[in-house]
Amino acid sequence: MGLKDYMNNIVEAVVTTAKGMRITARYGVDPKEEVTLQYPEERWEIPERYRGFLHNDIKKCTACTMCVKVCPVDCISLESVRGADKKMVLAFYDINIGRCMYCGLCVEACPVKSLKHTSGYEKASEVRGELILHFIEEDAAEIKARVARQVAEAAAKAAEAAKAAEAAKPAPLPSEAAKAAVVDPKPAKAEAAKGETKE
Amino acid sequence: MESLAISLVKAVPVLGAAPLWAVTLLLMVASAVVILVFALTFEGVGSLVLRKVAGDIQARIGPNRVGPNGILQFLADGVKLVLKEDIIPANADRFLFKLAPYFVFVGSFAAFVVVPFGVGLTAADLNIGIYYVMAVTSLVVVGILLAGWASNNKWALLGGMRAAAQIVSYEVPVGMALIPAVLIAGSLSLQDIVRSQGGGLGIFGWNLFHNPFTFFSFFLYFTAAQAETNQTPFDLPEAESELVSGYNVEYSGIRFGLFFLAEFGDMFIVAALATACFLGGWQIPFFNAAALPPVWGNLLSLGVFLTKAFLMVLVMMWVRWTLPRLRVDQLMRMAWKYLVPLTFVNLLGVSLWLLVFKGKGIPGMIASLFG
Repeated sequence: MGLKDYMNNIVEAVVTTAKGMRITARYGVDPKEEVTLQYPEERWEIPERYRGFLHNDIKKCTACTMCVKVCPVDCISLESVRGADKKMVLAFYDINIGRCMYCGLCVEACPVKSLKHTSGYEKASEVRGELILHFIEEDAAEIKARVARQVAEAAAKAAEAAKAAEAAKPAPLPSEAAKAAVVDPKPAKAEAAKGETKE
Repeated sequence: MESLAISLVKAVPVLGAAPLWAVTLLLMVASAVVILVFALTFEGVGSLVLRKVAGDIQARIGPNRVGPNGILQFLADGVKLVLKEDIIPANADRFLFKLAPYFVFVGSFAAFVVVPFGVGLTAADLNIGIYYVMAVTSLVVVGILLAGWASNNKWALLGGMRAAAQIVSYEVPVGMALIPAVLIAGSLSLQDIVRSQGGGLGIFGWNLFHNPFTFFSFFLYFTAAQAETNQTPFDLPEAESELVSGYNVEYSGIRFGLFFLAEFGDMFIVAALATACFLGGWQIPFFNAAALPPVWGNLLSLGVFLTKAFLMVLVMMWVRWTLPRLRVDQLMRMAWKYLVPLTFVNLLGVSLWLLVFKGKGIPGMIASLFG
Protein backbone atom coordinates (compact mmCIF):
# COMPACT_ATOMS: atom_id res chain seq x y z
CA MET A 1 0.00 0.00 0.00
CA GLY A 2 1.61 3.18 -1.16
CA LEU A 3 1.17 6.63 0.30
CA LYS A 4 -1.29 7.51 -2.44
CA ASP A 5 -3.58 4.62 -1.52
CA TYR A 6 -3.23 5.54 2.12
CA MET A 7 -4.32 9.12 1.52
CA ASN A 8 -7.12 7.95 -0.78
CA ASN A 9 -8.39 5.67 1.98
CA ILE A 10 -8.53 8.55 4.43
CA VAL A 11 -10.33 10.81 1.97
CA GLU A 12 -12.77 8.06 1.07
CA ALA A 13 -13.52 7.38 4.74
CA VAL A 14 -14.24 11.06 5.40
CA VAL A 15 -16.36 11.49 2.27
CA THR A 16 -18.48 8.38 2.79
CA THR A 17 -19.00 9.18 6.46
CA ALA A 18 -20.11 12.70 5.58
CA LYS A 19 -22.51 11.31 2.98
CA GLY A 20 -24.11 8.96 5.48
CA MET A 21 -24.32 11.64 8.14
CA ARG A 22 -26.04 13.98 5.71
CA ILE A 23 -28.68 11.37 4.90
CA THR A 24 -29.48 10.60 8.53
CA ALA A 25 -29.50 14.30 9.37
CA ARG A 26 -32.13 14.86 6.70
CA TYR A 27 -34.28 12.08 8.11
CA GLY A 28 -33.69 13.31 11.65
CA VAL A 29 -34.73 16.86 10.91
CA ASP A 30 -37.67 16.23 8.58
CA PRO A 31 -40.71 15.31 10.68
CA LYS A 32 -42.70 14.28 7.62
CA GLU A 33 -40.54 11.20 7.22
CA GLU A 34 -42.21 9.44 10.16
CA VAL A 35 -43.93 6.32 8.88
CA THR A 36 -45.09 4.84 12.19
CA LEU A 37 -48.84 4.33 12.53
CA GLN A 38 -50.10 4.52 16.11
CA TYR A 39 -52.19 1.41 15.65
CA PRO A 40 -54.96 1.34 18.23
CA GLU A 41 -55.61 5.07 17.75
CA GLU A 42 -54.93 5.27 14.02
CA ARG A 43 -55.89 2.64 11.47
CA TRP A 44 -55.04 1.66 7.98
CA GLU A 45 -57.53 2.28 5.21
CA ILE A 46 -58.83 -1.16 4.27
CA PRO A 47 -58.65 -1.93 0.54
CA GLU A 48 -61.93 -2.53 -1.22
CA ARG A 49 -61.28 -6.22 -1.88
CA TYR A 50 -59.66 -6.94 1.46
CA ARG A 51 -60.18 -10.52 2.60
CA GLY A 52 -61.06 -10.24 6.26
CA PHE A 53 -63.14 -12.57 8.39
CA LEU A 54 -65.86 -14.56 6.62
CA HIS A 55 -69.49 -13.73 7.21
CA ASN A 56 -72.44 -15.84 6.16
CA ASP A 57 -75.83 -14.25 5.66
CA ILE A 58 -77.84 -17.22 6.91
CA LYS A 59 -81.14 -15.84 5.63
CA LYS A 60 -79.82 -16.28 2.10
CA CYS A 61 -77.88 -19.48 2.73
CA THR A 62 -79.36 -22.60 1.17
CA ALA A 63 -77.09 -25.04 3.02
CA CYS A 64 -75.81 -26.36 -0.30
CA THR A 65 -72.45 -27.31 1.38
CA MET A 66 -70.45 -26.02 -1.58
CA CYS A 67 -68.30 -23.95 0.79
CA VAL A 68 -67.62 -26.94 3.00
CA LYS A 69 -66.56 -29.03 0.02
CA VAL A 70 -64.31 -26.40 -1.52
CA CYS A 71 -62.54 -25.32 1.67
CA PRO A 72 -58.92 -26.56 1.50
CA VAL A 73 -58.39 -26.43 5.25
CA ASP A 74 -61.81 -27.67 6.40
CA CYS A 75 -62.57 -24.64 8.50
CA ILE A 76 -66.27 -24.47 7.65
CA SER A 77 -68.66 -26.98 9.18
CA LEU A 78 -72.42 -27.09 8.88
CA GLU A 79 -75.30 -29.43 9.49
CA SER A 80 -78.74 -29.13 7.99
CA VAL A 81 -82.04 -30.98 8.08
CA ARG A 82 -84.80 -31.16 5.48
CA GLY A 83 -87.65 -28.90 6.48
CA ALA A 84 -91.39 -29.32 6.09
CA ASP A 85 -91.31 -27.45 2.77
CA LYS A 86 -88.64 -29.82 1.37
CA LYS A 87 -85.96 -27.09 1.79
CA MET A 88 -82.79 -27.55 3.84
CA VAL A 89 -82.76 -25.84 7.22
CA LEU A 90 -79.38 -25.04 8.83
CA ALA A 91 -78.92 -26.59 12.26
CA PHE A 92 -75.53 -24.93 12.75
CA TYR A 93 -73.02 -23.09 10.58
CA ASP A 94 -69.53 -22.57 12.11
CA ILE A 95 -66.35 -21.09 10.65
CA ASN A 96 -63.10 -21.69 12.50
CA ILE A 97 -61.22 -18.50 11.67
CA GLY A 98 -58.22 -19.80 13.55
CA ARG A 99 -57.85 -22.28 10.74
CA CYS A 100 -59.04 -20.17 7.83
CA MET A 101 -56.31 -19.07 5.43
CA TYR A 102 -58.42 -16.43 3.69
CA CYS A 103 -58.07 -17.98 0.25
CA GLY A 104 -61.55 -16.87 -0.75
CA LEU A 105 -62.51 -20.12 -2.52
CA CYS A 106 -65.69 -20.51 -0.46
CA VAL A 107 -66.82 -17.01 -1.39
CA GLU A 108 -66.28 -17.83 -5.06
CA ALA A 109 -68.11 -21.13 -4.74
CA CYS A 110 -71.16 -19.77 -2.94
CA PRO A 111 -74.06 -19.95 -5.46
CA VAL A 112 -76.37 -17.55 -3.63
CA LYS A 113 -73.62 -15.08 -2.63
CA SER A 114 -74.47 -15.38 1.05
CA LEU A 115 -70.84 -15.96 2.10
CA LYS A 116 -68.70 -12.83 2.02
CA HIS A 117 -65.37 -11.52 3.27
CA THR A 118 -65.76 -8.64 5.70
CA SER A 119 -63.06 -6.09 6.54
CA GLY A 120 -62.62 -7.40 10.08
CA TYR A 121 -59.14 -8.43 11.21
CA GLU A 122 -59.09 -8.01 14.99
CA LYS A 123 -59.90 -11.13 16.94
CA ALA A 124 -57.19 -11.91 19.44
CA SER A 125 -58.34 -14.18 22.22
CA GLU A 126 -56.91 -16.29 24.98
CA VAL A 127 -59.16 -19.25 24.29
CA ARG A 128 -59.11 -21.05 20.98
CA GLY A 129 -62.85 -21.72 21.14
CA GLU A 130 -63.48 -18.01 20.73
CA LEU A 131 -62.00 -18.22 17.24
CA ILE A 132 -64.94 -20.33 16.04
CA LEU A 133 -67.64 -18.07 14.65
CA HIS A 134 -71.18 -19.36 15.22
CA PHE A 135 -73.60 -17.89 12.70
CA ILE A 136 -76.71 -19.52 14.20
CA GLU A 137 -77.27 -18.63 17.79
CA GLU A 138 -80.00 -21.17 18.46
CA ASP A 139 -78.99 -24.59 19.69
CA ALA A 140 -78.61 -27.15 16.91
CA ALA A 141 -80.59 -29.83 18.78
CA GLU A 142 -83.50 -27.43 19.31
CA ILE A 143 -83.58 -26.54 15.65
CA LYS A 144 -83.56 -30.19 14.70
CA ALA A 145 -86.35 -30.98 17.14
CA ARG A 146 -88.44 -28.04 15.93
CA VAL A 147 -87.97 -28.95 12.28
CA ALA A 148 -88.79 -32.57 13.01
CA ARG A 149 -91.96 -31.44 14.78
CA GLN A 150 -92.91 -29.22 11.84
CA VAL A 151 -92.24 -32.07 9.43
CA ALA A 152 -94.36 -34.38 11.52
CA GLU A 153 -97.19 -31.80 11.69
CA ALA A 154 -97.02 -31.26 7.96
CA ALA A 155 -97.07 -35.00 7.39
CA ALA A 156 -100.08 -35.32 9.70
CA LYS A 157 -101.84 -32.48 7.88
CA ALA A 158 -101.07 -34.06 4.54
CA ALA A 159 -102.40 -37.36 5.76
CA GLU A 160 -105.58 -35.68 7.03
CA ALA A 161 -106.01 -33.85 3.77
CA ALA A 162 -105.50 -37.07 1.89
CA LYS A 163 -108.06 -38.75 4.12
CA ALA A 164 -110.51 -35.90 3.60
CA ALA A 165 -109.95 -36.07 -0.12
CA GLU A 166 -110.49 -39.80 0.03
CA ALA A 167 -113.74 -39.25 1.93
CA ALA A 168 -114.92 -36.48 -0.38
CA LYS A 169 -114.06 -38.35 -3.55
CA PRO A 170 -117.19 -40.44 -3.95
CA ALA A 171 -119.59 -37.48 -3.46
CA PRO A 172 -118.93 -35.36 -6.58
CA LEU A 173 -119.45 -37.11 -9.86
CA PRO A 174 -116.43 -37.52 -12.11
CA SER A 175 -118.20 -35.61 -14.85
CA GLU A 176 -118.93 -32.72 -12.47
CA ALA A 177 -115.34 -32.50 -11.37
CA ALA A 178 -114.23 -32.49 -14.98
CA LYS A 179 -116.76 -29.79 -15.71
CA ALA A 180 -115.52 -27.67 -12.84
CA ALA A 181 -111.97 -28.04 -14.14
CA VAL A 182 -113.05 -27.02 -17.59
CA VAL A 183 -115.30 -24.19 -16.39
CA ASP A 184 -112.89 -22.55 -14.01
CA PRO A 185 -109.21 -23.34 -14.65
CA LYS A 186 -107.91 -20.01 -13.31
CA PRO A 187 -108.27 -20.48 -9.53
CA ALA A 188 -106.57 -23.85 -9.79
CA LYS A 189 -103.65 -22.31 -11.66
CA ALA A 190 -103.46 -19.44 -9.21
CA GLU A 191 -103.43 -21.93 -6.37
CA ALA A 192 -100.62 -23.83 -8.01
CA ALA A 193 -98.67 -20.61 -8.51
CA LYS A 194 -99.29 -19.66 -4.90
CA GLY A 195 -97.97 -22.97 -3.77
CA GLU A 196 -94.82 -22.48 -5.80
CA THR A 197 -94.07 -19.10 -4.40
CA LYS A 198 -94.72 -20.45 -0.95
CA GLU A 199 -92.15 -23.08 -1.52
CA MET B 1 -13.44 24.47 44.70
CA GLU B 2 -11.39 26.46 47.22
CA SER B 3 -13.21 29.65 46.32
CA LEU B 4 -16.51 27.82 46.70
CA ALA B 5 -15.43 26.53 50.09
CA ILE B 6 -14.43 30.02 51.24
CA SER B 7 -17.72 31.51 50.08
CA LEU B 8 -19.61 28.67 51.76
CA VAL B 9 -17.84 29.30 55.07
CA LYS B 10 -18.58 33.01 54.70
CA ALA B 11 -22.25 32.33 54.02
CA VAL B 12 -22.67 29.96 56.96
CA PRO B 13 -20.58 31.31 59.87
CA VAL B 14 -21.17 28.16 61.95
CA LEU B 15 -18.90 26.26 59.57
CA GLY B 16 -16.01 28.60 60.39
CA ALA B 17 -15.98 27.23 63.93
CA ALA B 18 -15.94 23.60 62.72
CA PRO B 19 -12.58 21.85 62.38
CA LEU B 20 -10.93 21.86 58.98
CA TRP B 21 -11.31 18.13 58.39
CA ALA B 22 -15.07 18.33 58.98
CA VAL B 23 -15.49 21.13 56.44
CA THR B 24 -13.33 19.24 53.94
CA LEU B 25 -15.30 16.06 54.46
CA LEU B 26 -18.58 17.96 54.09
CA LEU B 27 -17.40 19.51 50.84
CA MET B 28 -16.16 16.18 49.53
CA VAL B 29 -19.46 14.47 50.24
CA ALA B 30 -21.44 17.39 48.87
CA SER B 31 -19.52 17.56 45.59
CA ALA B 32 -19.65 13.79 45.21
CA VAL B 33 -23.43 13.83 45.68
CA VAL B 34 -23.89 16.73 43.26
CA ILE B 35 -21.80 15.05 40.57
CA LEU B 36 -23.48 11.70 41.06
CA VAL B 37 -26.94 13.26 40.85
CA PHE B 38 -25.94 15.19 37.75
CA ALA B 39 -24.49 12.07 36.16
CA LEU B 40 -27.57 9.97 36.94
CA THR B 41 -29.90 12.66 35.61
CA PHE B 42 -27.80 12.93 32.48
CA GLU B 43 -27.95 9.17 32.07
CA GLY B 44 -31.75 9.15 32.36
CA VAL B 45 -32.43 12.07 30.08
CA GLY B 46 -29.64 10.95 27.77
CA SER B 47 -31.15 7.51 27.28
CA LEU B 48 -34.50 9.09 26.43
CA VAL B 49 -32.93 11.57 24.00
CA LEU B 50 -30.88 8.76 22.47
CA ARG B 51 -34.00 6.77 21.73
CA LYS B 52 -35.88 9.80 20.44
CA VAL B 53 -33.00 10.71 18.13
CA ALA B 54 -32.86 7.10 16.96
CA GLY B 55 -36.57 7.29 16.19
CA ASP B 56 -36.22 10.52 14.23
CA ILE B 57 -33.28 9.27 12.21
CA GLN B 58 -34.95 5.95 11.43
CA ALA B 59 -38.21 7.65 10.37
CA ARG B 60 -40.23 6.44 13.35
CA ILE B 61 -41.47 8.03 16.57
CA GLY B 62 -39.58 6.50 19.46
CA PRO B 63 -40.90 6.07 23.01
CA ASN B 64 -44.18 7.97 23.43
CA ARG B 65 -46.28 5.96 25.89
CA VAL B 66 -45.01 6.81 29.38
CA GLY B 67 -45.97 10.34 30.30
CA PRO B 68 -46.71 13.15 27.84
CA ASN B 69 -44.83 12.41 24.60
CA GLY B 70 -42.84 9.69 26.38
CA ILE B 71 -40.74 12.02 28.54
CA LEU B 72 -41.10 9.79 31.61
CA GLN B 73 -39.81 6.72 29.79
CA PHE B 74 -36.43 6.92 31.52
CA LEU B 75 -38.09 6.72 34.95
CA ALA B 76 -39.90 3.56 33.88
CA ASP B 77 -36.64 2.12 32.56
CA GLY B 78 -34.83 3.00 35.77
CA VAL B 79 -37.51 1.46 37.97
CA LYS B 80 -37.41 -1.67 35.83
CA LEU B 81 -33.63 -1.93 36.11
CA VAL B 82 -33.74 -1.59 39.89
CA LEU B 83 -36.61 -4.01 40.43
CA LYS B 84 -35.37 -6.80 38.18
CA GLU B 85 -33.93 -9.91 39.75
CA ASP B 86 -30.17 -9.86 40.22
CA ILE B 87 -29.07 -13.19 38.77
CA ILE B 88 -25.59 -14.65 39.20
CA PRO B 89 -24.97 -17.64 36.93
CA ALA B 90 -24.27 -20.89 38.77
CA ASN B 91 -20.81 -21.40 37.26
CA ALA B 92 -19.72 -17.78 37.44
CA ASP B 93 -16.83 -16.60 39.55
CA ARG B 94 -19.06 -14.96 42.14
CA PHE B 95 -16.53 -12.56 43.65
CA LEU B 96 -15.20 -11.22 40.34
CA PHE B 97 -18.70 -11.19 38.88
CA LYS B 98 -19.86 -8.88 41.66
CA LEU B 99 -16.70 -6.77 41.52
CA ALA B 100 -16.67 -6.04 37.78
CA PRO B 101 -19.54 -3.50 37.55
CA TYR B 102 -17.94 -1.35 40.24
CA PHE B 103 -14.68 -1.09 38.29
CA VAL B 104 -16.54 0.04 35.21
CA PHE B 105 -18.75 2.42 37.16
CA VAL B 106 -15.91 3.96 39.17
CA GLY B 107 -13.68 4.22 36.11
CA SER B 108 -16.33 6.16 34.28
CA PHE B 109 -17.53 8.39 37.11
CA ALA B 110 -14.19 9.29 38.66
CA ALA B 111 -13.47 11.22 35.47
CA PHE B 112 -16.30 13.63 36.35
CA VAL B 113 -14.13 14.98 39.17
CA VAL B 114 -11.96 17.14 36.92
CA VAL B 115 -14.58 18.23 34.38
CA PRO B 116 -14.53 22.06 34.30
CA PHE B 117 -18.26 22.77 34.53
CA GLY B 118 -17.78 26.50 35.07
CA VAL B 119 -15.47 29.30 36.16
CA GLY B 120 -15.04 27.80 39.62
CA LEU B 121 -17.16 24.70 39.27
CA THR B 122 -14.74 21.81 39.38
CA ALA B 123 -14.78 19.18 42.08
CA ALA B 124 -10.99 19.13 41.99
CA ASP B 125 -8.88 21.25 39.65
CA LEU B 126 -6.00 18.76 39.48
CA ASN B 127 -2.81 20.01 37.86
CA ILE B 128 -2.63 16.65 36.04
CA GLY B 129 -6.26 16.83 34.85
CA ILE B 130 -6.04 15.20 31.41
CA TYR B 131 -3.51 12.66 32.61
CA TYR B 132 -5.87 11.78 35.47
CA VAL B 133 -8.81 11.28 33.08
CA MET B 134 -6.77 9.01 30.84
CA ALA B 135 -5.57 6.99 33.81
CA VAL B 136 -8.88 6.62 35.57
CA THR B 137 -10.91 5.71 32.50
CA SER B 138 -8.46 2.84 31.94
CA LEU B 139 -10.06 1.17 34.95
CA VAL B 140 -12.99 0.45 32.64
CA VAL B 141 -10.84 -2.07 30.75
CA VAL B 142 -10.22 -4.03 33.92
CA GLY B 143 -13.90 -4.05 34.77
CA ILE B 144 -15.01 -5.15 31.32
CA LEU B 145 -12.39 -7.88 31.13
CA LEU B 146 -13.38 -9.06 34.61
CA ALA B 147 -17.04 -9.11 33.63
CA GLY B 148 -16.29 -11.13 30.52
CA TRP B 149 -14.10 -13.59 32.40
CA ALA B 150 -16.26 -14.02 35.48
CA SER B 151 -19.47 -14.62 33.54
CA ASN B 152 -18.18 -18.02 32.33
CA ASN B 153 -19.86 -17.43 29.00
CA LYS B 154 -18.14 -17.53 25.64
CA TRP B 155 -19.93 -14.47 24.29
CA ALA B 156 -19.09 -12.48 27.37
CA LEU B 157 -15.45 -13.54 27.23
CA LEU B 158 -15.15 -12.68 23.54
CA GLY B 159 -16.72 -9.29 24.21
CA GLY B 160 -14.38 -8.68 27.13
CA MET B 161 -11.31 -9.61 25.09
CA ARG B 162 -12.37 -7.36 22.25
CA ALA B 163 -13.07 -4.50 24.64
CA ALA B 164 -9.67 -4.82 26.24
CA ALA B 165 -7.88 -4.84 22.88
CA GLN B 166 -9.95 -1.95 21.62
CA ILE B 167 -9.72 0.33 24.65
CA VAL B 168 -6.00 -0.20 25.09
CA SER B 169 -5.38 0.46 21.39
CA TYR B 170 -7.47 3.58 21.16
CA GLU B 171 -6.10 5.11 24.33
CA VAL B 172 -2.95 5.93 22.36
CA PRO B 173 -4.58 8.13 19.70
CA VAL B 174 -6.93 9.69 22.27
CA GLY B 175 -4.04 10.83 24.43
CA MET B 176 -2.05 11.89 21.39
CA ALA B 177 -4.95 13.95 20.03
CA LEU B 178 -5.47 15.75 23.35
CA ILE B 179 -1.84 16.80 23.74
CA PRO B 180 -2.07 19.77 21.28
CA ALA B 181 -4.48 21.46 23.70
CA VAL B 182 -2.03 20.79 26.52
CA LEU B 183 0.83 22.22 24.46
CA ILE B 184 -1.07 25.41 23.69
CA ALA B 185 -2.17 25.97 27.28
CA GLY B 186 1.12 24.82 28.77
CA SER B 187 -0.76 22.93 31.46
CA LEU B 188 -2.45 19.58 32.01
CA SER B 189 -5.16 21.13 34.17
CA LEU B 190 -8.48 21.31 32.34
CA GLN B 191 -9.29 24.69 33.91
CA ASP B 192 -6.03 26.15 32.60
CA ILE B 193 -6.74 24.71 29.16
CA VAL B 194 -10.19 26.35 29.15
CA ARG B 195 -8.78 29.67 30.39
CA SER B 196 -6.18 29.65 27.60
CA GLN B 197 -9.01 29.72 25.04
CA GLY B 198 -10.59 32.97 26.26
CA GLY B 199 -9.65 36.47 25.21
CA GLY B 200 -10.97 38.94 22.67
CA LEU B 201 -11.01 36.61 19.67
CA GLY B 202 -14.43 35.09 20.40
CA ILE B 203 -14.88 31.61 19.02
CA PHE B 204 -11.63 32.03 17.07
CA GLY B 205 -9.80 31.88 20.36
CA TRP B 206 -10.82 28.25 20.66
CA ASN B 207 -8.18 25.61 20.14
CA LEU B 208 -10.27 24.23 17.28
CA PHE B 209 -9.31 27.26 15.13
CA HIS B 210 -5.84 27.77 16.53
CA ASN B 211 -4.10 26.22 13.54
CA PRO B 212 -4.90 23.54 10.92
CA PHE B 213 -3.32 20.80 13.01
CA THR B 214 -5.55 21.43 16.03
CA PHE B 215 -8.55 21.48 13.71
CA PHE B 216 -7.75 17.95 12.52
CA SER B 217 -6.80 17.00 16.04
CA PHE B 218 -10.34 17.66 17.21
CA PHE B 219 -11.84 15.26 14.69
CA LEU B 220 -9.18 12.65 15.36
CA TYR B 221 -9.87 12.92 19.09
CA PHE B 222 -13.60 12.65 18.56
CA THR B 223 -13.27 9.53 16.42
CA ALA B 224 -10.78 7.82 18.69
CA ALA B 225 -12.72 8.72 21.84
CA GLN B 226 -15.89 7.20 20.43
CA ALA B 227 -13.96 4.01 19.85
CA GLU B 228 -12.39 4.13 23.28
CA THR B 229 -15.79 4.37 24.98
CA ASN B 230 -17.35 1.63 22.82
CA GLN B 231 -19.84 3.89 21.08
CA THR B 232 -21.76 2.36 18.23
CA PRO B 233 -19.66 2.43 15.10
CA PHE B 234 -17.02 0.79 17.27
CA ASP B 235 -19.24 -1.14 19.70
CA LEU B 236 -17.63 -4.51 19.02
CA PRO B 237 -17.54 -5.49 22.71
CA GLU B 238 -21.35 -5.38 22.69
CA ALA B 239 -22.15 -6.17 19.07
CA GLU B 240 -25.69 -7.44 19.60
CA SER B 241 -25.81 -9.23 16.28
CA GLU B 242 -22.60 -11.18 16.87
CA LEU B 243 -22.09 -11.48 20.62
CA VAL B 244 -25.68 -11.20 21.91
CA SER B 245 -24.72 -8.36 24.24
CA GLY B 246 -21.02 -8.96 24.81
CA TYR B 247 -19.38 -8.69 28.20
CA ASN B 248 -22.60 -7.83 30.06
CA VAL B 249 -24.75 -10.64 28.67
CA GLU B 250 -25.00 -12.51 31.99
CA TYR B 251 -25.74 -9.40 34.04
CA SER B 252 -29.21 -8.34 35.07
CA GLY B 253 -30.95 -5.90 37.34
CA ILE B 254 -28.93 -3.15 38.98
CA ARG B 255 -25.57 -4.69 38.03
CA PHE B 256 -26.48 -4.37 34.37
CA GLY B 257 -27.70 -0.87 35.23
CA LEU B 258 -24.21 0.06 36.41
CA PHE B 259 -22.73 -0.92 33.04
CA PHE B 260 -25.44 1.07 31.34
CA LEU B 261 -24.78 4.12 33.53
CA ALA B 262 -21.06 3.88 32.87
CA GLU B 263 -21.67 3.88 29.13
CA PHE B 264 -23.58 7.16 29.32
CA GLY B 265 -21.04 8.56 31.77
CA ASP B 266 -18.31 7.82 29.23
CA MET B 267 -20.36 9.54 26.58
CA PHE B 268 -20.55 12.71 28.64
CA ILE B 269 -16.85 12.58 29.52
CA VAL B 270 -15.92 12.38 25.85
CA ALA B 271 -18.17 15.30 25.03
CA ALA B 272 -16.91 17.30 28.02
CA LEU B 273 -13.24 16.73 27.13
CA ALA B 274 -13.86 17.69 23.51
CA THR B 275 -15.60 20.84 24.72
CA ALA B 276 -12.94 21.76 27.25
CA CYS B 277 -9.93 21.03 25.04
CA PHE B 278 -11.11 22.24 21.65
CA LEU B 279 -14.40 24.15 21.88
CA GLY B 280 -13.49 26.69 24.51
CA GLY B 281 -15.07 24.94 27.52
CA TRP B 282 -17.15 27.41 29.52
CA GLN B 283 -15.78 30.43 27.66
CA ILE B 284 -18.51 32.69 26.30
CA PRO B 285 -17.46 34.44 23.07
CA PHE B 286 -16.52 38.13 23.60
CA PHE B 287 -17.50 37.95 27.25
CA ASN B 288 -15.45 37.36 30.34
CA ALA B 289 -17.51 35.17 32.67
CA ALA B 290 -14.73 35.10 35.26
CA ALA B 291 -15.13 38.85 35.85
CA LEU B 292 -18.78 38.54 36.92
CA PRO B 293 -19.79 38.03 40.57
CA PRO B 294 -19.12 34.34 41.42
CA VAL B 295 -22.74 33.17 41.46
CA TRP B 296 -23.73 34.63 38.09
CA GLY B 297 -20.40 33.86 36.47
CA ASN B 298 -20.60 30.25 37.57
CA LEU B 299 -24.22 29.81 36.50
CA LEU B 300 -23.63 31.42 33.10
CA SER B 301 -20.47 29.46 32.39
CA LEU B 302 -22.15 26.24 33.58
CA GLY B 303 -24.97 26.83 31.11
CA VAL B 304 -22.56 27.50 28.26
CA PHE B 305 -20.44 24.47 29.05
CA LEU B 306 -23.44 22.15 29.31
CA THR B 307 -24.90 23.47 26.05
CA LYS B 308 -21.68 22.77 24.20
CA ALA B 309 -21.23 19.36 25.82
CA PHE B 310 -24.82 18.30 25.10
CA LEU B 311 -24.45 19.38 21.49
CA MET B 312 -21.40 17.14 21.28
CA VAL B 313 -23.43 14.31 22.84
CA LEU B 314 -26.10 14.86 20.19
CA VAL B 315 -23.46 14.60 17.48
CA MET B 316 -22.28 11.34 19.05
CA MET B 317 -25.84 10.00 18.93
CA TRP B 318 -26.13 11.12 15.34
CA VAL B 319 -22.94 9.21 14.46
CA ARG B 320 -24.19 6.27 16.45
CA TRP B 321 -27.36 5.90 14.39
CA THR B 322 -25.62 6.50 11.08
CA LEU B 323 -22.53 4.38 10.74
CA PRO B 324 -22.46 0.58 10.56
CA ARG B 325 -20.25 -1.42 12.91
CA LEU B 326 -16.65 -2.15 11.90
CA ARG B 327 -15.09 -5.58 11.81
CA VAL B 328 -12.45 -6.43 14.42
CA ASP B 329 -9.55 -6.34 11.97
CA GLN B 330 -10.83 -3.09 10.46
CA LEU B 331 -11.05 -1.59 13.92
CA MET B 332 -7.49 -2.53 14.77
CA ARG B 333 -6.23 -1.37 11.40
CA MET B 334 -7.96 1.96 11.88
CA ALA B 335 -6.32 2.44 15.28
CA TRP B 336 -2.75 1.42 14.48
CA LYS B 337 -2.42 2.23 10.80
CA TYR B 338 -4.45 5.41 10.56
CA LEU B 339 -5.25 7.13 13.84
CA VAL B 340 -1.93 6.61 15.60
CA PRO B 341 0.25 7.88 12.70
CA LEU B 342 -2.11 10.74 11.97
CA THR B 343 -2.22 11.91 15.58
CA PHE B 344 1.57 11.67 15.69
CA VAL B 345 1.88 13.84 12.60
CA ASN B 346 -0.61 16.27 14.13
CA LEU B 347 1.30 16.42 17.36
CA LEU B 348 4.54 17.12 15.51
CA GLY B 349 2.79 19.74 13.41
CA VAL B 350 1.35 21.55 16.44
CA SER B 351 4.69 21.43 18.21
CA LEU B 352 6.50 22.89 15.20
CA TRP B 353 3.83 25.54 14.76
CA LEU B 354 4.13 26.65 18.35
CA LEU B 355 7.92 26.71 18.03
CA VAL B 356 7.98 28.64 14.75
CA PHE B 357 5.18 31.13 15.45
CA LYS B 358 5.96 31.58 19.15
CA GLY B 359 2.67 30.06 20.33
CA LYS B 360 0.41 32.25 18.18
CA GLY B 361 -2.50 30.78 16.24
CA ILE B 362 -3.81 31.85 12.83
CA PRO B 363 -6.67 33.99 14.25
CA GLY B 364 -4.21 35.65 16.63
CA MET B 365 -1.86 36.51 13.78
CA ILE B 366 -4.68 37.92 11.67
CA ALA B 367 -5.87 39.97 14.64
CA SER B 368 -2.36 41.37 15.22
CA LEU B 369 -2.15 42.28 11.51
CA PHE B 370 -5.15 44.56 11.96
CA GLY B 371 -3.80 45.83 15.23
